[in-house]
Amino acid sequence: MLAIESKESRRRRRRRRRRKKKKKREESMESGKKEDGEMEKVEFDASEIEYVSYGGEHHLPLVMNLVDQELSEPYSIFTYRYFVYLWPQLSFLAFHKGKCVGTVVCKMGEHRNTFRGYIAMLVVIKPYRGRGIATELVTRSIKVMMESGCEEVTLEAEVTNKGALALYGRLGFIRAKRLFHYYLNGVDAFRLKLLFPRPELHPSLPMMADKYESHMRSYHGNAPSIVE
Amino acid sequence: MADEAATVAPHASIPSGDNSVWADVSPLLQAASQDLQEGELIHGDNFNLFAAMSALEIMDPKMDSGMVCTYYSLDEAIENGAAPVPISEDKTIDVRCTIDIMDHLLACEATWHKGHSLAQTVYACLYLLRPERTSSHALLHSYCKVIRATCNAILSVVSDARTHEEEDLFTMAYGLPLCGDGDEKCLSLLNAVEETISRQLRACKASSSKRRVSEDIEPLQDNSDLEEGYCRALLCRLRFRKHFYHLLMSMKRPQGRGLELARKHIASCISEIDHIQKSSEFLRTSAYGMCDQNIDTTASGCQPIGFDASLNCRLSAPTPPRSIKILCWEKALEYFIKLLQDLDIVCSYSLDPSLEAALHFVVKFQKSQPDLVSRAHLQLLLVQDGKLYGRDSMLSMITRAAGLPEVTENHDIEKNEFMMQLGQLVINLLKILCTNTAWQRRKLGKMLQDWRVIYVQLEMAFKKKFEEASTTSNTKKICFKIYQHILAWVEEKTYWIAFRFLSLGFELELYSFHDYCMVYWYIYVVLIKLAEKKHLRMAMSSDAAKKKAKKKKDSLKDAEMDHHIPAAVLFLQSQIYLAEGLSMMFAAMRNEHRIVPLQSPFNTEHEIFIQQFELLQKACVPDHISYVTFKESTSHANLSTLAICDYFKEAQRIAKEVKSSFANDSDTMAELRGVEQVAERNSIALNVCRVGALDPKLKISFAFSHHPFFATAIVKRS
Repeated sequence: MLAIESKESRRRRRRRRRRKKKKKREESMESGKKEDGEMEKVEFDASEIEYVSYGGEHHLPLVMNLVDQELSEPYSIFTYRYFVYLWPQLSFLAFHKGKCVGTVVCKMGEHRNTFRGYIAMLVVIKPYRGRGIATELVTRSIKVMMESGCEEVTLEAEVTNKGALALYGRLGFIRAKRLFHYYLNGVDAFRLKLLFPRPELHPSLPMMADKYESHMRSYHGNAPSIVE
Repeated sequence: MADEAATVAPHASIPSGDNSVWADVSPLLQAASQDLQEGELIHGDNFNLFAAMSALEIMDPKMDSGMVCTYYSLDEAIENGAAPVPISEDKTIDVRCTIDIMDHLLACEATWHKGHSLAQTVYACLYLLRPERTSSHALLHSYCKVIRATCNAILSVVSDARTHEEEDLFTMAYGLPLCGDGDEKCLSLLNAVEETISRQLRACKASSSKRRVSEDIEPLQDNSDLEEGYCRALLCRLRFRKHFYHLLMSMKRPQGRGLELARKHIASCISEIDHIQKSSEFLRTSAYGMCDQNIDTTASGCQPIGFDASLNCRLSAPTPPRSIKILCWEKALEYFIKLLQDLDIVCSYSLDPSLEAALHFVVKFQKSQPDLVSRAHLQLLLVQDGKLYGRDSMLSMITRAAGLPEVTENHDIEKNEFMMQLGQLVINLLKILCTNTAWQRRKLGKMLQDWRVIYVQLEMAFKKKFEEASTTSNTKKICFKIYQHILAWVEEKTYWIAFRFLSLGFELELYSFHDYCMVYWYIYVVLIKLAEKKHLRMAMSSDAAKKKAKKKKDSLKDAEMDHHIPAAVLFLQSQIYLAEGLSMMFAAMRNEHRIVPLQSPFNTEHEIFIQQFELLQKACVPDHISYVTFKESTSHANLSTLAICDYFKEAQRIAKEVKSSFANDSDTMAELRGVEQVAERNSIALNVCRVGALDPKLKISFAFSHHPFFATAIVKRS
């Protein structure tokens, strides 16, 4: 059931929620690193992971379960639907032998005269971390954003989340800002930004796509760890 | 039943109007809902993230803040005995519990200062929420009063300073009784209570030492073995509050008139904190066996009575339904000591009537990473009524900083609209420098454009004025002077801001290793401009001063001064070499494949450059600088040529030389030492790299061990 809050509190809650959400996402990635010792890693070949674009209502419970499972606080169904209904092409799921093991949820739109993408949620369940699944998921979303005419992509990450920062750093994101006490636990965040090349600066844009292909090949070839 | 009630009630309360009539819409809604498919609502144009995030699932404890409450109202909590007055009929227990409340309140206060909501920290105390309830309990009443008054005072300082942009939870105080009746007179009650307890302490000491029963004075509590300890524990807590409140009041006085007095109260506060710390052993032992003693927010370890943070979740709706971790008692005391030390630095400032001194002071102050409360106090001291320290007009400060000769003082320069804007810009700069460094950097970056615009506007205005002035009069000359000096100063300040913007990026960890080459290169070009403008401005000032001196008497030293580069410029010179050296070192290592450049699948180094320096480029700081110029100057760097032209050696030499000029300036001395050390180590590292060029086992890394933003190279054989 839906309740409408006062304008003031809604404004604030919206901010808080966003913070919480981000925080949780990063926490979940972070925790994978810490619990590596206790956690049984699943043995699998990178080629066994199947990546699927968001396909409709039957995928929604999978996305929600995955996020709920990794995050202690659930989000309202409206938040999930907001993203996956408006930008289904930006959401991806990763399956291993029929089991959903990771997902990415994004949006894109006008922001201060630029058309920008925004990465909202990224989750890979613990036993599957460190094998490039998160990188592949987020890379697929970014590629669609680029093809859809986005000029840049943004997101926030906790300053202590070295794994996520390294992942996005490798993809060309810079730390544009530090957001003081962004999370309720008092931890700062980085606003990360990825600027796409403008055609007038790079006459040979198709080259970027080739680069992307070879980059992905190298990822699958060596399967370097994402979360350090 | 419910449906009926819903449809009947409006009929009863709101009558139908002339053009309207009440109708039951339930069947309509039901029919409509048949048409609506799952998820369709989300397709609505007006359904945005705002709406999605605002949606609440009622009765879900994680979303519905009302669900996690122990009590539904303050009245219910009080009726249930959550905050009894007195806390206990047993006087000893009552005193012990009062001390626990005091300790927990202190921990809450520190947690609030650290950025949590007032409602869920200090005002989780039920006693604070109903000021009149404690009136029969003088001790608790006086303490609650002074806490409310203190919170109120701090809140107003922080909101007045507006340095809390990202710390906005701090000033939220919806519906909280911040100011109880007579809270402004909190000190008189506090003094009376303090007086009573110090008499009780005297009495118990007299009775124990001389075995003489002291008449008239009723002891604090009934256990004579604990009397002295409890009296002492209470006294230091009360006195801390008294001095802390006095301190805040003294700092509030205009034009920094109360700073000296404030320092005395700071010293008293610190000494009372010492007593508070020492009281913990007594409090722990005396409470032994009376409670679980597993709480870390009180000295005794006992759970404080009368706190319920969940109650305020509903009192102040915007607070998210999350439990806040209150700082532990020791950490709270540490926080207050740090706050007092920071405030002491503020109070010890000489209020030097010079803009450069004020700017220098804020930057130095920020190095100790002060928290919000002390930063707000500094800001209010620096800028009052649009004047520096509430005393010196900004324009006179600017003309003085620009080194304008006194002849221009009566000139109508102050009437110039752009000069007024410049004054406002300087005020903004001072305020921005008082904010947390993350926010500060963003604001400084955005501000660069304003400085650039004001420069252009001033230039045009002065030109016009110059042309208007008659050729014969002296005005023309004066006009030209003002024109030169002010513009040179504005440019110098613009590059100073740019330099701070770039160097703060290191402190905030915004740069990745791969960006260091371009960042140091940009610092290098900005520093060159800064040194150039500073030199020009200083030469003009000394020129003006010299002419004035010459009129009085011929100085022999003039000739020497002419060719001497000022120490401040030489200091910049050493940093220029260091920045250039670092940039070239990174470039050489990349050119010789010692470091692998980042290979992003989506963009190139060019985009990284655009993003990193977007705000500087927008403001043309400096002019004609682009990615192409960066590439041109770094693409040929290699280790063997670097050794011939060793920037690090130059930096080290200048830093060493210029030290003697700063013998009395410990901060600049420390910075110079840092520059010298980094330069020396990097010079050695560079040589090792060059000699061992073919050794693949040489690993090079960088650390900020000697300077906050100039990296020191570390070469290791792996």
